Amino acid sequence: MISGLLDGAAQAIAAEVRSGRASAHEVTLAALERIETRNAAFGAFTDVTTARALARARAIDAARARGETLGPLAGAPFAVKNLFDVEGLTTRAGSRINRDHIPAEKDATLVSRLENAGAILVGALNMGEYAYDFTGENFHDGPSRNPRDLEHMTGGSSGGSGAAVAGGLVPLALGSDTNGSIRVPSSFCGVFGLKPTYGRLSRAGTFPFVASLDHLGAFARSVQDLALSYDAMLGRDPADPAQAEVFAAPVAPTLDDGLAGLRIAKLGGYFARSGDASALAGVDAVARALKAERVVELAEAATARAAAYLITMVEGAALHLRRLQTRAADFDPDVRDRLIAGAMLPGAWVQQAQKFRRRFRAQALTLFREVDILLAPATPCRAPRIGQKTFVLDSKELLVRPNMGLFTQPISFIGLPVATVPVWTGGEKLPIGVQIIAPPWREDLALRVARVLERDGIVRAPVAPFA
Amino acid sequence: MTAAPFDPEALVEAMSPLLELTLTPESRAETIVHLRIAAEQAQLLLSAPIGDDEEPAPVFVA
Repeated sequence: MISGLLDGAAQAIAAEVRSGRASAHEVTLAALERIETRNAAFGAFTDVTTARALARARAIDAARARGETLGPLAGAPFAVKNLFDVEGLTTRAGSRINRDHIPAEKDATLVSRLENAGAILVGALNMGEYAYDFTGENFHDGPSRNPRDLEHMTGGSSGGSGAAVAGGLVPLALGSDTNGSIRVPSSFCGVFGLKPTYGRLSRAGTFPFVASLDHLGAFARSVQDLALSYDAMLGRDPADPAQAEVFAAPVAPTLDDGLAGLRIAKLGGYFARSGDASALAGVDAVARALKAERVVELAEAATARAAAYLITMVEGAALHLRRLQTRAADFDPDVRDRLIAGAMLPGAWVQQAQKFRRRFRAQALTLFREVDILLAPATPCRAPRIGQKTFVLDSKELLVRPNMGLFTQPISFIGLPVATVPVWTGGEKLPIGVQIIAPPWREDLALRVARVLERDGIVRAPVAPFA
Repeated sequence: MTAAPFDPEALVEAMSPLLELTLTPESRAETIVHLRIAAEQAQLLLSAPIGDDEEPAPVFVA
């Protein structure tokens, strides 16, 4: 029975724990046992917080015994990309170098908020070094492997988060997304992902990459779990100076409001030109289900992607310059050499990129006067094989690592909220994701559409079978 | 007069001492690959007409 619960949603686990039909302790034990059994195959976890998780579970069971009201995620296991601070663990951010840091003295804000809602942290997850990666292959810890096919990439940089959720190790995981690092692994691993609006959720207590573009968000196998976890993580945090002072209403109460009144369109042009057949078929399947026949253009998307690319190179390089000077040999070479190149770029390029960012935002806001939701592929193709360095798109051979974010980068560049939904086309073993893009601060709309698609069976994220 | 073609090798040679970076031959070669990609992206970005009066996205609030 408990094993079956682990294949379901965090919400269902919480319902069982709140009712007393299952204890948080037995759910946690089962989750830890499953991690022990499956993690070697998936390479998802880098740290397992056994003692902490069991102590937390006992506390939840004791609270229930005292008649206290339990939170909406009571007893649900979750894990976080290893750039989140976890008290007592060293925040490695996928690197070798940061392992020399002292352990974190307190949890990241979002970890605390999920635990305040009753969720139980069971560990930290593999990621591409310093989050500069779309593959999920960690040079030091080994690759995270795609539970849908272990020979294929999870995508990155939140690769362990995608693997842990798709592989049934946890129903809920947190990751970060600078240029696509939640949306790419969601697409490759076949799970739901939510990248909220830039500035919405506190980034306090996480290791940064590109301050101008960094977002945090969640992975889950149900849209309801994305909504519940997002609601639990909302709220002002003075420790994050980049957090916007914008009112945030919880999204769970309106999640089942359906499509009434929503104008939905596919993004054409740039977003319809470069993907392979599977990427375009995924969008078409979603658009058909939503009766979204209109196609609109987000002009200058290629320029937006170029601007995001350059801001990332330069800000990333600035963050790591001291380490490049003193510890170059300890980097993943693929990450190091992109950062070194970024350190050599002209400042004028970045200033142009930041000016263009404001203009591109204005163009998107104009488009959102006509439509409420935009649909676009999340990745240009399904998951490449582990170790694959290049792929072919439009008869051109491209590097995998910098180019899996072709469709995600222009969107996160201006911080739009996105729910990524997994589509299986043509009986394929590997899924592909579609971005459901909403206006700034309207996570509720993206999740409402995702929920309709899930309810109607157009998108789904079952646990991958484990041999 | 037209500008000379972009020369990433020369850029690496000139910038490495300024940045106090010591590059292995392998790292130097890969850095050059990424500089070429960045230059392609910059060409696209710099072709966008941006006015002097346009405000960059991050605005400091005192």
